[in-house]
Amino acid sequence: MSDQFGIKVEEIFDTMEERFRPEGAEGVDASYGYDIQGVGKWKLTVKDGQMTIEEADDLGDCVAVTITDADTFVGVNIGQVDAMKAFNSGKFKVDGDLGALGQTAKMFTKFVSGKKEMTVGDFIQDMFATLEERFQPKNAEGLDVTITYDIQGDGGGCWTATIKDGTCVLKEERIEKPTVRLEVGAADWVDVMLGKVDAMTLLSAGKAAIEGDSSLALKLGEIFSKYIAPGEMAEPEQELVRLKKVISVNHRFATGPVMGKFLQGLKNKKIIANKCPECGRLQLPAREVCAICRVRVPGVVEVGPKGHITINDIAYYASPDPLTGETRETPYGSVNILLDGCKGNETFWHLLRRDQIFEVEESWNEKKGTRVRPVWAENRVGSIKDILYFEIDK
Amino acid sequence: MAKKKKNRNVAIVGVGQTQYSSHREDVNQPEMIHEAVSLALADAGITIDDVDAIVHGNMELFEMVHQPDLWHMLGTGGYGKDSFRITTGGTTGATIACAADNLVASEMYDVVMAVGFEKLQEGHTTGGITNMADPLWSRQLQTGALTGSTGYKMEKEFGEERANRAAMMYRIMMDKHACLNHNSHRSFGLDFDQMDDLMENSPRLVGNLRLIHMCSQSDGCCVVIFASEKKAKKMAKPPVWVRDHITVHREETFNIFGFDENYPVPMTHRFAAEQLFARNGIDSPVDYFDVFEMYDPSGWWGADWMKEFFLFENDEHLKLIEDKEIMIDGKMPINPSGGVTAANPIGATALVRVAEAALQVRGDAGGHQIPRDVNHALASGFGGTMWTVLMMLERELNW
Repeated sequence: MSDQFGIKVEEIFDTMEERFRPEGAEGVDASYGYDIQGVGKWKLTVKDGQMTIEEADDLGDCVAVTITDADTFVGVNIGQVDAMKAFNSGKFKVDGDLGALGQTAKMFTKFVSGKKEMTVGDFIQDMFATLEERFQPKNAEGLDVTITYDIQGDGGGCWTATIKDGTCVLKEERIEKPTVRLEVGAADWVDVMLGKVDAMTLLSAGKAAIEGDSSLALKLGEIFSKYIAPGEMAEPEQELVRLKKVISVNHRFATGPVMGKFLQGLKNKKIIANKCPECGRLQLPAREVCAICRVRVPGVVEVGPKGHITINDIAYYASPDPLTGETRETPYGSVNILLDGCKGNETFWHLLRRDQIFEVEESWNEKKGTRVRPVWAENRVGSIKDILYFEIDK
Repeated sequence: MAKKKKNRNVAIVGVGQTQYSSHREDVNQPEMIHEAVSLALADAGITIDDVDAIVHGNMELFEMVHQPDLWHMLGTGGYGKDSFRITTGGTTGATIACAADNLVASEMYDVVMAVGFEKLQEGHTTGGITNMADPLWSRQLQTGALTGSTGYKMEKEFGEERANRAAMMYRIMMDKHACLNHNSHRSFGLDFDQMDDLMENSPRLVGNLRLIHMCSQSDGCCVVIFASEKKAKKMAKPPVWVRDHITVHREETFNIFGFDENYPVPMTHRFAAEQLFARNGIDSPVDYFDVFEMYDPSGWWGADWMKEFFLFENDEHLKLIEDKEIMIDGKMPINPSGGVTAANPIGATALVRVAEAALQVRGDAGGHQIPRDVNHALASGFGGTMWTVLMMLERELNW
């Protein structure tokens, strides 16, 4: 099938003349052969900054002959097939001087398909046809999920991807209760996949819906590599370079004596506050001064370690932990706890054991206030993480 | 707080803004800044030679490290001029405006250009916001600027149904304004009949704070030029007078939000508003001001904070929302620009509030100009662990 990408081998040779760059052929005096199996043979002759291309049976005087099949040849030319991979796997052979062949890359601008515009339906078909090969197992470790894409309107359909044990299988089917179901119009989905619209914008506008585990939906960009439309490898007018940098710097923060006492306390399984001598409020964590009264706060007071929850703020948004760069697992419960010995707003901020977050009333816990206790880390170093989380005291 | 002493009057004489968008990958930081600088200079009818000093800044942690040393001279035109670089978190843009006003009022400079910018796509917004928290303590617990607490507070105050409807209605009205402003990063074309659907189906972020409520992550730059009275009166456009401004901070902790009604903690918004209005003899801010450009990071905060800024005691703010009186043709227009949910290039955002308020006073806001005289404008900035900047602008020099 010589037009798998919608492009015939002939089109690539027929456009060579218009794609020719004399500045890339300076000083070249050679012929190059192309043996496209099952299709035909072509001979490219370059001399004095000019070129000719012709069908030829005899490629004997060429410095290099490319031997490959139509699919690979077209795929490499439009950037859908990695040339090195094809070469290493034997699908793309070169008879003669490989270095000389390399020169031809500079002689031509990239091939751009002149074929008809792809329809929304074409895109949708191509997107799902390439979904499995775009799967990134290393970003899906430990996942055992089903993702249903409910693409609505003309050109749409319903597909379900099953991800398990580092593999991805896509079927055109609808299943009961997938882990997450995306519902979006076909044209909108094409725009998202081509990077014209971001998914958040559609969600915000109510043009797309997520049912089920929305945090999984937010990770789709990692689980699958970016979709690249056929023929989309053409160079833009001017390539804009984007520099990617990952910066990692070790910080060392001085705690000062008061915060130091608080952190030392955690090491010893104690939660330390201090009490303003003027307004009488407890500060938790202990702080050097009362900012409101502008006086030093001497001494410390031990509070808790048990207490009751006043607020359970459940976060569904998968935000990164800036200290590790890893995405936090969602949902999680960020809780304010009124430790024993504290009153009013003297709450302690920490996390709730993840499997218990829905056992505690979401938002304000005005009346009941579930009792909780800290779960301490085995190796404590003087950090807020010396408490792993709080759990229900039952 | 006593009234601040100003040596002389100061006016806003030029405004320039880039298009706000999620991606300005076609330009680097100085190039993007230059777009807004050129527009502001053209608006004022002056050249960079007429500018005496430059105050410029962004919220550096979003583009991550090494930003404090970058002065973007190629974009600001600041070569050889006195320059100041300012960052104060979310209020950066407002602080830049206050500093520019102070520098002119002090008589040290006649014309000062304020430049606020941000390229949020170059870093990680939520990661950046989380990093701003106390490294010894809350940095390990925070989730960016996201919290459901305002929702809980309003639901407790006014009941779940009314609170949720007010927050969503506020959000939809902001989107309607954003659709009128060609600089908006986001304008969805939301309508009131989508309210129930959005309240149900917009993905939850934290508690009842949903994706649709939250502000965008934008790229963009805003420039505002400040000049002395004498200079301002010779400029191309009518001056917009800076009457007064105030900045209020509190201690840097996140664990006190005033949740227990028996132990109320005053918000910096209310504290700042009380001080500012008292020293300027304004008894009823909602009657006095013709427009309020508010730093509203989400629909919930926008709706709730109206109560603090206008010093309301009960549900007056909800009534204004429910009666659509905060729309561009309403009694108390809020954010005719679309506000922060429409565009949020953070280091510029609070300066955009000042710029947009000034355009309204001047009658130059174009498609989102309030359809009646705007004589008195208020602009706010908001930062981090709840701190506040307010600036008042006037059409006439008569107070």
